[in-house]
Amino acid sequence: MNAATSVFSHIDYLVAVALFLSGAWILLTSNNLVKKIIGLNVMETSVFAFIVTTGMIDDGAPPLLAAGVEGPFASPLPHALVLTGIVVAVSVTSLALVLVLRIKAELGSVELDEIESVGEHDDSAGPGGGSG
Amino acid sequence: MSPIELLDLVLLALLLTCAIGIARLKDLAACAILFSAYSFILCLVWAHRGAPDVAMTEAAVGAGITTVLFLTVISRVGRREK
Amino acid sequence: MNAWRTGRILTTVLIGALAVPLMYGVLHLPPPGQADAPAHSNVSAKYIEHGAEHGGSENLVTGVLLNYRALDTFGEVLVIFTAWLAVAAVAGTARQTGHESTPPSPIVDYVIRMLAPFIAVFALFVIVNGHVLPGGGFQGGVLLGAMLILLSLAHGGEPVADVVSLRTWIWLRAAGVLVFALVALLGLPLTGYLFGLPTDPTLRHALMIVLELGIGIGGGAVLGGLYFSIAGVERS
Repeated sequence: MNAATSVFSHIDYLVAVALFLSGAWILLTSNNLVKKIIGLNVMETSVFAFIVTTGMIDDGAPPLLAAGVEGPFASPLPHALVLTGIVVAVSVTSLALVLVLRIKAELGSVELDEIESVGEHDDSAGPGGGSG
Repeated sequence: MSPIELLDLVLLALLLTCAIGIARLKDLAACAILFSAYSFILCLVWAHRGAPDVAMTEAAVGAGITTVLFLTVISRVGRREK
Repeated sequence: MNAWRTGRILTTVLIGALAVPLMYGVLHLPPPGQADAPAHSNVSAKYIEHGAEHGGSENLVTGVLLNYRALDTFGEVLVIFTAWLAVAAVAGTARQTGHESTPPSPIVDYVIRMLAPFIAVFALFVIVNGHVLPGGGFQGGVLLGAMLILLSLAHGGEPVADVVSLRTWIWLRAAGVLVFALVALLGLPLTGYLFGLPTDPTLRHALMIVLELGIGIGGGAVLGGLYFSIAGVERS
């Protein structure tokens, strides 16, 4: 009974952990590089969800004093951290994506097993064996 | 349980559904669109956690820009995952 | 192929094993939403109590970003500019032509054309009102970037990238870093601290708006540049 109420009150944290784990699973087991980056993004956003949840407060207002609202305010610090984090995440994603495009152009594939077999071909056929 | 708590639970369940869908689907374009939906649901969750700034950024970046970047790359590398 | 499958199963087992300590750990955190949790009782409480007078911003998130955590924000602006440099270096400047075969439908074209000015005005509104309403430099910046990408989707990218010269694009992308560094150095003579903002409300307000505009324009131009590089329409 106690465990059940604990699970219910912590449901936000538990969902964030579950999203983190599924993102990690996609990142580690996928054979496709683009799919791996999508998994990485799921991991990132789950961490953001966790951080925003730590800043939330029951029946709290957003941290805006102008509205003339009294009462508890959500903590502004996690919001500021996540705000910078989101913009960094999109930079990281685009750098990873442009590297994927480069791999596609050089090696002709974005599937990990095919990239490995291109490497084996290179030993016999010399460099530049890709179709790029 | 208040309606707003119920809505919260439904949104969290949808988030998990999107994540599982991304893991299961073999079509990369569908994965990118699911990620867009995932970001937008997350933005709704944050909007009623008292984080309007973060929700606004996530709606523009996660559901908009990141998805466009993914779809641009997928259109060049092929949408089928083997 | 068999080794691949074994690795997949092992990874699944590993993730399952990782799930146990993580779930157990978060169950022992204070439940979210409690007012006396550690997350609310240390610096956050001080920020909420004194943020408006210290930071000069009724939106406490903007106050935290531009005052208490200004060095953090400066590093973040540097990170996105560096990310654009790296993306441009990897992608090269060769413009790829010929893969844009199907023009967008007239409806999409018309709707985006109608929508773009409103998005731009809204982005500017969000940037300039960042100290009273939800919003600020980053939020407005991503809206500007989204507008650039939307226009590129409707018009094929090249016309949007050609609006200004590459030299101007580079200055715009560096705007966030340059403006932030300038305001940070200006803090030295005005307050005696790097990143310090003056206590005079009018001057502080003006500097904050300059800072927000720099971050917003820089962020928007960087996001547009990331898309141009990935789509292969960057101006050379």
